[in-house]
Parts: sequence; structure tokens; C-alpha cells
Amino acid sequence: MTSPVLTRTPTQTVQAFLDAFARHDIDAAIAVADPQVSVTVHPLGLHGTGPDVLRNVLADLLRAFPDLLISVSRVITTGDVVTALFKAEGTQSAGYAGAINQEKHLDIDQAWRFVVSGGLITGVTGYWCQAQLYRRLAVKRYDEIAIA
Amino acid sequence: MTALNTLPRTAASAAVVTEFFDRYRAHDVEGMTGLCAINADFSYVPVEVWGKQRVLRGDGKVGTVGKPLWTGLIASFPNLSNTVHSIASNEDGDVVAEVDIEGTQQLAWGLITPAGRHYREPHLFIFHVGPDLLIDSITAYWNDAGISQQLGHNEVD
Repeated sequence: MTSPVLTRTPTQTVQAFLDAFARHDIDAAIAVADPQVSVTVHPLGLHGTGPDVLRNVLADLLRAFPDLLISVSRVITTGDVVTALFKAEGTQSAGYAGAINQEKHLDIDQAWRFVVSGGLITGVTGYWCQAQLYRRLAVKRYDEIAIA
Repeated sequence: MTALNTLPRTAASAAVVTEFFDRYRAHDVEGMTGLCAINADFSYVPVEVWGKQRVLRGDGKVGTVGKPLWTGLIASFPNLSNTVHSIASNEDGDVVAEVDIEGTQQLAWGLITPAGRHYREPHLFIFHVGPDLLIDSITAYWNDAGISQQLGHNEVD
């Protein structure tokens, strides 16, 4: 009998991740990540390996923006690479990426590039503009991020 | 483009995008534009300039927004270059490219005064290449804060 994981297409795997992330179910999102998943989030300067790295990225976002709304505009499948374009919106309730909480609203367009193998995400790279993020969170300077 | 027409669309679309970055590396803006449909859409997502009453964004057409932007970037960074790390494409003409863009600043770029500093920043480009093998859409994402900081500009404008 073939495992359901192996029969999932790359699109279905990434859609499962996005659906889980959108409903704030981190465990379900991480369940479709490979144990050796490579995680790069350029705006955070983050390069790591393993589901816990990805879990921390998602958890930090949801901790800082508890009402986080993920609106996916496009999912582009190019072989085993799946690219998701979405907008993340939410109201800041805790510090994030060094920015103190000033209860500002965030809306930021992002692109996440996933690599999928055997029904699991083996690589994820996140792209967004940290200048846009800090601008919305009322940060004035990159060298004084925590000063309002 | 004649030879490309003999390739499957997946490979042909990827080849068009490869050629686009080759021409970008050669600072051939006319050549880059020549690979695009006349009404090709353009969106550089991180580009936004906040005024008192409006926000200017890097959205529009290749001919009216993209071309002036590329020209200005090359003028400010005369050694502007790119390194293509990966290109993935499909039969619908979608092409996703991971590309580092880098250059050394010689002229003002936006609000960033030139200090002779160098930047290198990862970009994700999403293209759509039409059946005529012309690019009809370009969208790009990157971290503009990374560029500002590398160039010594620490204000969040």
C-alpha cells in the first residue's frame, strides 16, 4: 500500500502547509516538513536546518501577530518547486524581529519558495521586505530598531 | 528566438529568462525590454515611496516603470551584476528564478547617498512567458532593508 504522503503532489503538500499556517496550526504545518528541511528566511538573516527552525519562524510570527491573516494570491508549481505568494496581515501584540510592540497593523506581501520531495517539504526560502515591515511597525532606524 | 521555438515550452521559457539575466548583466536594457511584450506587467514589490498623501509603488508596466528603474539602477551602480542560482519553469510559461543582484554605489539611489559601498542581495523573480516566448509579467521580491544597510543607510524611509 502506498503511503498518502508519497502520493501527495508538491502542490498539495505546500497547500497543506499554507492551510495549516493560515489557521494557526503550527503542528499541522510542520507535519509536512522533512526532518532535514532546509530553512532560509532572507529578511531575518536566518539559515537553518530542521523542523524546529521552521516552527520558530511560524511561532514568532503568530506570537507577535495573534490575529495573523494569511491571504494566498498565487501558488505556482514548477516541477518540485512550489512558490506561494501571499499577504500577511495582523496587529502587533508583542515584539517582532527586534521591533517593540506599538500595536501597529502589518500588511506585507511575501513570496515563499518551497522544494518538495516524497510528499514532504525539503526546503523553504522566505522573501519579504523588512523595510516595509519596519515602516509599518513605526521603526525609524535599522540601527535602533527597538527605539520607538 | 527561432531556435527557442523548437523547444518544449518549459525549457523555452526558462531559456528566455536566462537570456534576460544575461542581458541585464551586460547592462543591455533595450535588450531586456526586447524580451518583453509591449504591454508586459511589472511589479517590484518592495519598491514604495511614502509621501504625505500618497504612496508610489513599483507597479506598472515594463516599458514605463521597469525600464526607467533598471536604467537608474545601472547608472547608480555602474558595476551592477547578477548571479542566477536557480530557474524553475512549467508548461504554462511560469518561471521562478533565485538571483543575487549586486553592485557598488556611485550615484544616489532613492534617498541613499553614494558612499562607494557594495551590496549583494538575494531576489526572487517570478516571470510569465507567453506562448510567443515574450515575457508578459515580471514580479520580484527582496529585502530592501538589506540593501539600505549594506549601503550604510540606516533610516527606515
